[in-house]
Amino acid sequence: MIAYIAAALMAGIAAGYLNGSGAVRAAVTDYAFNAALLILVFVMGFAFGADRDAAAKVRKAGMKVLLVPLAVACGSVLAGAVGGLALGIDPIASAAASAGFGWYTLTGPLMAQAFGAGWGVFGFAVNFFREMITIIGVSALLRIDRYAPVAAGGATCMDTTLPVTVRYCGPEMLVVAFTSGFVLSLLAPLSIAALISLA
Amino acid sequence: MAVEGMPLVQASVYVLVLLLTILAGMGTGYAARGRRGRGPGRALERLTLFTIVVLIFSLGFGIGSDGLLASLPAVGLNALGIALLSIALSVLFVAAVRKGARLE
Repeated sequence: MIAYIAAALMAGIAAGYLNGSGAVRAAVTDYAFNAALLILVFVMGFAFGADRDAAAKVRKAGMKVLLVPLAVACGSVLAGAVGGLALGIDPIASAAASAGFGWYTLTGPLMAQAFGAGWGVFGFAVNFFREMITIIGVSALLRIDRYAPVAAGGATCMDTTLPVTVRYCGPEMLVVAFTSGFVLSLLAPLSIAALISLA
Repeated sequence: MAVEGMPLVQASVYVLVLLLTILAGMGTGYAARGRRGRGPGRALERLTLFTIVVLIFSLGFGIGSDGLLASLPAVGLNALGIALLSIALSVLFVAAVRKGARLE
């Protein structure tokens, strides 16, 4: 499956680069993207609802599931600060970029507003790379730990990386992945704003 | 996530729509539990794979058409380093939490 994903991503980038005019672009990036996303999220929900074992496993884990996004948030922000210090760039701005948890369309504009266009591109790139690495590396991540794709995907586990994660990790991971992505999506604007205020 | 920059209100609506969609899917799946017959398993698997391919293609199309790739080399290595470190520490922290909280 990873071959299909890599091929689709490369073909999409090439097609977008060659034919990225207004009408075609809107049809693909707005309508096709949103329709595919909603169908997938619905189907994932359906598979989970129809699976008795998956619901039982989630009930057993209970509120402990919420520890996953909190761990991802702490790990990401710490990585941004430590990485910033190691690379000789502003550690607060770097931590703010990491605090997007993969949500690049939110992080880029927020960072550009606070730190300028250069940091906006940086915030975008950090989170863009995070999403791409999760999509391309999902099977390798799964070998490290069953929850590793969820941890890597961050906020994107609520949408773009959800289908890939559930497909590889199993339907019982749907609620963990979606909850993690959902909580991180709520945390992302707050933590970026909090870090910006420290700068 | 969609490729354009996303203001906070739009982002909130986006999150809400996804939440409602997954809940609708769960409800439909739950209602379909008692049905007898072969079930939609194989057809759903094919639909999922096809839709994942469409989703990833659209994601790539947005990246290619926005000219976003052109801006990446300027910040590329530092951003890649931070992204890899974010993933590594997230995985590490989650593994530690799983062990501590005995999450299966």
